[in-house]
Amino acid sequence: MTTVVEYPVSVAGLYQYHDVIGLLSASGPGFSGPVSLALGPDGLLHVASRANPNQPEGVRVTRCTFDGAYMGEFSGWGEGPGQFIWVTEIRFGPDGMLYLSDENTHRISVFTPEGEFVRCWGELGAEPGQLNGPSGMAFAPDGSLLVVDSLNHRVQRFTADGEFLTGWGEEGEGPGQFRMPWGVAVDAAGDVYVTDWRNDRVQKFDADGGFITEFGGRDGGDGFSRPNGLTVDNDGLIYVCDWWNDRVQVLDASGRVIDTLIGHSGTSRWARTFLDANPDIEEKLNAATQNIELKRRFYRPAAVTVSDDGLVFVADCYRHRVQIYRKRS
Amino acid sequence: MTMVSANADTNDIQSSHRALIAHLVRRAGFGATPAELDKYCGWGYDATVEWLLRPEAQPGLDEDIIERYYIDWKESRNIEGALTETVYRMNGNAATRPLQEKVALFWHGVFATGLAKVLHEKTMLNQIDMFREYGLGSFRTLLERLARDPAMIFWLDNNFNHKDAINENWGRELLELFSMGVGMDDKENYTEDDVQEAARAFTGWTIDDDNVASIPYGKTPWLFRYDPDDHDDGVKTFQGETGNFNGDDIIEIICRQPSTARFISRHMYNFFVADDVQVPAWQSTPPADPEAIALLEAEYFRSGYDIRSMLKVLFTSDFFKSETARFARVKSPAEVVVGTLHLVGDLKFPRTGVMDTALECRYMNQDLLNPPSVEGWHTGKEWIDSGSMVERINFVADELGNSAHPGVRDIVGALLEGESSLDAGGIVDGCLELLGCVALRDDNRTALVAQAAELLENGTDLESVILNALRMIGSTREYQFA
Repeated sequence: MTTVVEYPVSVAGLYQYHDVIGLLSASGPGFSGPVSLALGPDGLLHVASRANPNQPEGVRVTRCTFDGAYMGEFSGWGEGPGQFIWVTEIRFGPDGMLYLSDENTHRISVFTPEGEFVRCWGELGAEPGQLNGPSGMAFAPDGSLLVVDSLNHRVQRFTADGEFLTGWGEEGEGPGQFRMPWGVAVDAAGDVYVTDWRNDRVQKFDADGGFITEFGGRDGGDGFSRPNGLTVDNDGLIYVCDWWNDRVQVLDASGRVIDTLIGHSGTSRWARTFLDANPDIEEKLNAATQNIELKRRFYRPAAVTVSDDGLVFVADCYRHRVQIYRKRS
Repeated sequence: MTMVSANADTNDIQSSHRALIAHLVRRAGFGATPAELDKYCGWGYDATVEWLLRPEAQPGLDEDIIERYYIDWKESRNIEGALTETVYRMNGNAATRPLQEKVALFWHGVFATGLAKVLHEKTMLNQIDMFREYGLGSFRTLLERLARDPAMIFWLDNNFNHKDAINENWGRELLELFSMGVGMDDKENYTEDDVQEAARAFTGWTIDDDNVASIPYGKTPWLFRYDPDDHDDGVKTFQGETGNFNGDDIIEIICRQPSTARFISRHMYNFFVADDVQVPAWQSTPPADPEAIALLEAEYFRSGYDIRSMLKVLFTSDFFKSETARFARVKSPAEVVVGTLHLVGDLKFPRTGVMDTALECRYMNQDLLNPPSVEGWHTGKEWIDSGSMVERINFVADELGNSAHPGVRDIVGALLEGESSLDAGGIVDGCLELLGCVALRDDNRTALVAQAAELLENGTDLESVILNALRMIGSTREYQFA
């Protein structure tokens, strides 16, 4: 690979920077505001770009290998079947299908891993089973789908076909209450973790929505500032995108922060290709005396996922790339 | 909301306390909803002025919400996106920090910098943020920030202003368009030597050379950088004073000049009180109200160049409160668009389609962040041509007649509360008042009342008659004035 970073490590040294995939691009190899990523059953990384209304072609799901070989993209801006406006999460289900939440159309769309549209469901409202700004999603061990219903300040559980099962939460700051929650993850035991975005905390529930505990809070230091994407790895470690602090916090099962990722990006394969074709731009970049450190770091990391072999993928949203770390054994 | 004179004639409305405060917030902000006017009237005029002058005491926008829904705005990768963000922020702050936004718009017009050349949207937006932060403080501090503003440095080529090869673009415009003006009272305010010496003092004031680096990972904001090796350390003579001046010394001398007091005062008068002739004519055209300008000039020096103090004098003066000052300025497109959005309650939470709304400013001849030249926009009647007039009328009529907007529903609801006594005149006068005590010419009011009466006679439901009246008022010549 072409990265020039000499293998720095995370704050506590438990993770080693591995690679970066990315380039600001509205089409083809590259991303445009990646907000979510998922590891497919086909062995490919899927990345959802939210882009912006001025560049509707930038709204898409990109498929690539773990070392940055571009394999194509699908879907795009719109309200029609198979399209989306404000994608927030993509997740693969136990059926091998890709589920995509759209905060704007208030629906969940389902695709094959190759991007063929299968079905969608969801309607705007506040009644049980209705959605207002669906964002994070996670599949439970029983195959049901948990959906963060952000503007209704709650979590709802559906079948994979969209049949409403149950839900919990209301607006507030107390246990079991939320203020615009964003992400959700489920551990091996079926316990549910929710990033309670505007309350700057993570809440943990049992499978029935019973409150267990909470992590974080606005205490600076190890507290969170608008946490969003999160995941739980096979060892039970919890990874939380601490969005406004521009870092990813790694917590043990008790909620103690054991490490922090801040971003160490070098030059990606796609970026290298671009710069080789545009040496004048690289010359300008090399002449810069400011912002150098800034450009390596995370800038609003929005999603994180971990592969079975310990690669940690972080969607570095405002830098249009995915930074990858490897767990050090 | 309070209805104080639903059936009063236009003159009675204009003599009311409510109309005076409506005038204040049209000029110091983007107008007010009926509920806001109720609040301001409860406070009283002077307390409202004090509130307007202290925007930093009010909550700002929910930046987390903006970043969550408009993720592209953080780096703002194109002109339209930057324009959209600007309009969104103006509208978002219209209820809480109206004067801060209005002053940012004011300075954007004076220190006109444009994306046609700068081509780095976030850097331009940072300049507008700088106006928000410093626009109500010391004029000297504001100029010091402006001289370090990366967008301005690039806009006026100060990154090409070297000690062994000066570029006088920034030095010239600093004097001509940003502080002293070419002349006043038929005299010139500075010499060509002053321009050259000012340029020398700003050598080495530059930005980093990574301005094209929008890729591979997006843009990073440009930053000011002082290069002492490229600064001319020699002795300079400026405005009759001699010394080893750096840029801040030049600004300090500029701020002491009576011409600067005059120039800033005329700009304030033109923006907040009444339309003046265009800036290039100021050298030979005396102010329309010399006493008002003299009052502002005196406060400029008394307060130590404090913009907030000057505005307090302006807003509490008789010349500002006068009924002849009402509706004496043609609204800028930004005032039309943001004022109307605020009134109808749109864009208070992120939604799609915001760019189409924001672009209305461009269609009305004010391409925010992209003025036609360093001279800024010509104001007053020069805002208006046949194309922009059609855009103005269509936009306002569409918005005011859209009952899906919460602000429109509030107005309709307030009028329907008194349904039993609501005749055609009451509908029109009630709408005029709830839209901010708009003053119509008698013949226009008579025509609108006649149309409302005809609709009522034809059995049209009251809500539709009210919505029609709102649309028609938005289509009048008078609505285009602040």
